[in-house]
Amino acid sequence: MSVTDKTGTFARLGDPPRMTQSARRQLLLTVMPIVVLAALVAAIAVANPNFLRPASIWTALDSAVPLMILASGAMLVILCGGIDLSVAALASMASVLVALWIPALGGWAVILVVLVCALAGMLQGVVHVVAQIPSFLVTLGGLAVWSGIALVASGASTIGVSGTTLDWAFTRLTDWRIPSAVLIAAGLVIVFALVLQLTPVRRWLISIGSSEPAALLAGVPVAQTKIAAFVVSGACAGFAGVMLVGRTFSGAPTLADSLLLPVVAAIVVGGTAITGGFGGIGRTVIGVLIITVLRVGLSVAGVDPSYEQIFYGVLVIAAVALTIDRSKLPFVK
Amino acid sequence: MAAARLGLAPPETGRADARTRRRAHSTLLADFGPFGALVLLCVIFSLLSPQFATWGNVRNILDSAAVLGVIAVGLTFVLLLGAIDLSIEGVMATAAISVALLVANSRNDIDLGFIGIVAAVALGACFGLASGMLSTGLKIPSFMTTLGMSAIGIGIATVLFAGVQPSLRSPELAEWASGQWLGLTRLTFVALGVVVVGLLIQRYTRLGRYARAIGGAEELAVLSGIPVRRYKTIAFTFAGAVYGLAGVMVTIQLGSGIVQAGVGQNFAAITAAVVGGTLLSGGRGGVLHSIVGVLIVTVLVNGLVLIGVSPYVQKAVQGVIVVVAVAITAWPLRQRLRVVK
Amino acid sequence: MSVEKQIEDAASAPVLAVHDLRKKFAETTALDGVSFEVRPHEVVGLIGENGAGKSTLLKMLVGLAQPDSGSIELRGKRVKMRGIAQAGAAGIGMVFQEQSLIPNLTVAENILFGAEGAAVVGGVYRWKELRRRAQVQLDKIGSKIKIDAITEELTFAERQLVEVAKVLATEERTNAEPVVLLDEPTSVLDRDETEVLFAQIERLRTRASVVFVSHRLDEVLRVSDRVYVLRNGKTVAECVPGDVDEAALRRMMIGRDLEGSHYGEEDQLPVREEVRLSVRGLSIKGVCEDIDLDVHVGEILGIAGVQGSGREELCRGIFGALATRGSMTLDGRPIKPGSPRTAISADIGFVPAERRREGMVGSMSVAENITLPHIGEVCAGPVLQRGKERRLADEWIERLSIRTPSASAPLGSLSGGNQQKAVLARWMVSDSLKLLILDHPTRGLDVGAKSEVYRLIRELTASGVSVLLMADSLEELIAMSHRVLVMKDGRVTDVIDARAGDKPAPVTVLERMI
Repeated sequence: MSVTDKTGTFARLGDPPRMTQSARRQLLLTVMPIVVLAALVAAIAVANPNFLRPASIWTALDSAVPLMILASGAMLVILCGGIDLSVAALASMASVLVALWIPALGGWAVILVVLVCALAGMLQGVVHVVAQIPSFLVTLGGLAVWSGIALVASGASTIGVSGTTLDWAFTRLTDWRIPSAVLIAAGLVIVFALVLQLTPVRRWLISIGSSEPAALLAGVPVAQTKIAAFVVSGACAGFAGVMLVGRTFSGAPTLADSLLLPVVAAIVVGGTAITGGFGGIGRTVIGVLIITVLRVGLSVAGVDPSYEQIFYGVLVIAAVALTIDRSKLPFVK
Repeated sequence: MAAARLGLAPPETGRADARTRRRAHSTLLADFGPFGALVLLCVIFSLLSPQFATWGNVRNILDSAAVLGVIAVGLTFVLLLGAIDLSIEGVMATAAISVALLVANSRNDIDLGFIGIVAAVALGACFGLASGMLSTGLKIPSFMTTLGMSAIGIGIATVLFAGVQPSLRSPELAEWASGQWLGLTRLTFVALGVVVVGLLIQRYTRLGRYARAIGGAEELAVLSGIPVRRYKTIAFTFAGAVYGLAGVMVTIQLGSGIVQAGVGQNFAAITAAVVGGTLLSGGRGGVLHSIVGVLIVTVLVNGLVLIGVSPYVQKAVQGVIVVVAVAITAWPLRQRLRVVK
Repeated sequence: MSVEKQIEDAASAPVLAVHDLRKKFAETTALDGVSFEVRPHEVVGLIGENGAGKSTLLKMLVGLAQPDSGSIELRGKRVKMRGIAQAGAAGIGMVFQEQSLIPNLTVAENILFGAEGAAVVGGVYRWKELRRRAQVQLDKIGSKIKIDAITEELTFAERQLVEVAKVLATEERTNAEPVVLLDEPTSVLDRDETEVLFAQIERLRTRASVVFVSHRLDEVLRVSDRVYVLRNGKTVAECVPGDVDEAALRRMMIGRDLEGSHYGEEDQLPVREEVRLSVRGLSIKGVCEDIDLDVHVGEILGIAGVQGSGREELCRGIFGALATRGSMTLDGRPIKPGSPRTAISADIGFVPAERRREGMVGSMSVAENITLPHIGEVCAGPVLQRGKERRLADEWIERLSIRTPSASAPLGSLSGGNQQKAVLARWMVSDSLKLLILDHPTRGLDVGAKSEVYRLIRELTASGVSVLLMADSLEELIAMSHRVLVMKDGRVTDVIDARAGDKPAPVTVLERMI
């Protein structure tokens, strides 16, 4: 018997099912974000009816694309119960590499960069799984390494990109002037949704996030799934970096650094639990939309962009406080 | 996610003798290993660069270690608890800009002098208090809370900055940055003072001992009736005050307040603490360990610059070091079906 | 102690009295009316099987659990224990089996932890005073342990003595002699350390009253003034060591002989010749050594042993959840389960004891849980065939009579028995299942669910599956098993035949266990 077995072997089995509490929480997590998004859109539309015109909607969606791509990948890691703090730095590194390699490799630079970032993600995943080091620490270290590589490769300066190689990433299509980036992001989201819905991957991620000991004993390929999540997270970060270069026409070592907090905020605000085991791509889309609309709203309301960081900070804390599954963390560090 | 907890209860079998002997060895390694590494680094760099082992350079090293040393003292208490603090850059930013606006400066007519410094430190303490209360009250993992607080801090600093850099116009304060006692800047002695205070608190107060206990076995501390929440919050508050002081120091060094006052410090401080032996899992190491780590990091930066390595590589090197250092301590604890988030 | 004092003490009021304590945990009754008393300067022994209620009882005495009904009286006053700290303030403390000391603090700090008194003034430590006060406690038990040693560097036996000192510290706080609860103190001590402990208990006697819980009946008889026997949550006997011997105690622990019809004994088929699993020289570091065992096709091999015997770890090792040395063959082919996944692909299954934490993913549906280990059965390549999965789940829900609103209800919302049936289903889904390891499969289930599980296990063996079984009660284990492997202190001590119609008495097994 251990002093910390608060009520002995019997009690651990005999607790009445707490599903009503959990079901309520799940409902909250599903409905609230949609309500919040609707409310925000409504509020902005009231303040500035121009917001609902197709042109401004497309522009808003277009600005959300890099965030969406980053968040999709990072979400997979969070679903397993971990976190990838390096996504923004990896995207910055990707922007530098793509800007450097396009002159020599043309369009192939994009594929190479995404591969490199996928490998970076794999390295982080392997270290996490094999050395059994917490993911936040591995990716914190990774963040520094990718940042360093970006700094060295770029000589701490911005690298301009000329030519048409990345035009596909930032152009408008058809008479409706649909941004290509939005279509690309939508395509990515659909691919994610299909994979998660049609294959066992989602239930593996969820089982690892909600009860890793049970997943291990039930034969779920835990190590492989976790590493794969990091690989995809890295690849998405790389792709997001490419998209950023497409619209800024340059790569810079800190280009995407400020996106880390919005990424985490988007995932959590959308209803994916930071503790893992609950969430999905649909929620992440809603979360990204909320963050984007919030940003648009703040500027429509004439709020100084300097306040943005404060908002993100408060939002992240509040969202995590509301959505965290406390039963999984008896002693929160 | 919260750092994986190192073993809680000691092994249950009486055949523990071999393990306790091994544990005594590993504590020996943890206590003297970092110091040995520091000495080794110094030797290597003196061999690689003739300018390394000069008095001038030693003074350089100590002076450049001052701010990081102060930060590390505060971070140590949070790490002892087993928590993590990612709010350093934000708190330093706010404190740096605040002090720049409260003492004689180029943007307004306020000159509170010393009171201004106290106010900035108190502001840092408020951030720490908020981090502590939110983490313990709402049961949010500390890495999440402090990440959010950092953003809030940067945001407030950006708003206060309002696009116009406040430069200090106080000759007395400038003295603190440039004036010298025994060849070291006065700020270095301030750092020394903070270290001494940190050591005293760690050794002789409830905060110090209970923080260590909470990091060692939080559940047991709770069951023994310790008001764990209270001590966790106090630790965060103290750390916040210390980060505020560090922000003030940076402003004095630079002669003006900037939002980037703390850039890179969070990472450097965590690296320093971990490398020095104050483990992320809590309950181990302490102020002295962290300071040895600070010296290691500072010597490394100094040495690499002297032998011509690009300063951009610094951060990457620190990243690798911290992961390797944690991997080394975590390696013997690996188990087949261990859950690490 | 003088005879007069002894008589005087015996006649005086009990220092601790427990009346009719009861506790139910949802479907299980842990305590069903426990009463006993401890008189001043007495050592009272408490024995009982696994699951008899000893742990729950002790936890109530220090406030880690609350009784549903009944009362606890300390020195004549009725008390309500709310936690260790408060219990300590009331003068009762426990020396825990898995220790309650903070590993990275010094011995002095641990002894006075949370109750430093005047050694800490205004938040500031007065180390000299702290050391002095802690040394007083160590002197009470005459220990030579260094007051400044870091706790985790001490041996287990030394740490145990520090825990005793910690409990004794309550004496100065309450100005009364403490009640010291010793929970399985000797289970991991060697011979010499045990002697030291007994010497301590004799010293303790002069200034405290002691409750001594142990599996080791010889020790209990040696040290105690009186012994209480717990069975099925009730105190069933109170005796004096002079009047009973170990055999008598064992009989009282077990109670009347098996009445095992609800275990389906009559359905127990004879064991076949072929060996399914053969284990040779299996060792798990620090836990068990050199284990040999054979399980035949269609056989249920029960594994008996107390906590610390290594049986749970052995089973986990066979399933690949723990690192092992040694060799194993399954149906003649050598296997080396490096992980649960390799074990599963070798057609081995495992049902863990802690269902909520390790057995099921509560937030996923019944169907998803059932198909988890053999996901390939419901996939066409990488694509999940939900229709097929649904049909499979429905089939098993029907077959095992799992009561659930639908196959997509979250498993966590079902009752314990139905959860366990779903967990069993996940292994039964595969036709090629060869070996199923069951770790306390009926723990926490009501009687009805238990018998359904027994029936399922019998069905499985009838179709040729081999089973390794661990159960809380010897009754259950013996009734279900064809043979019983007994483990003690990390080694196999015996293999007892348990054929239908010729079952051994539980006492026979018990004496090989302890």
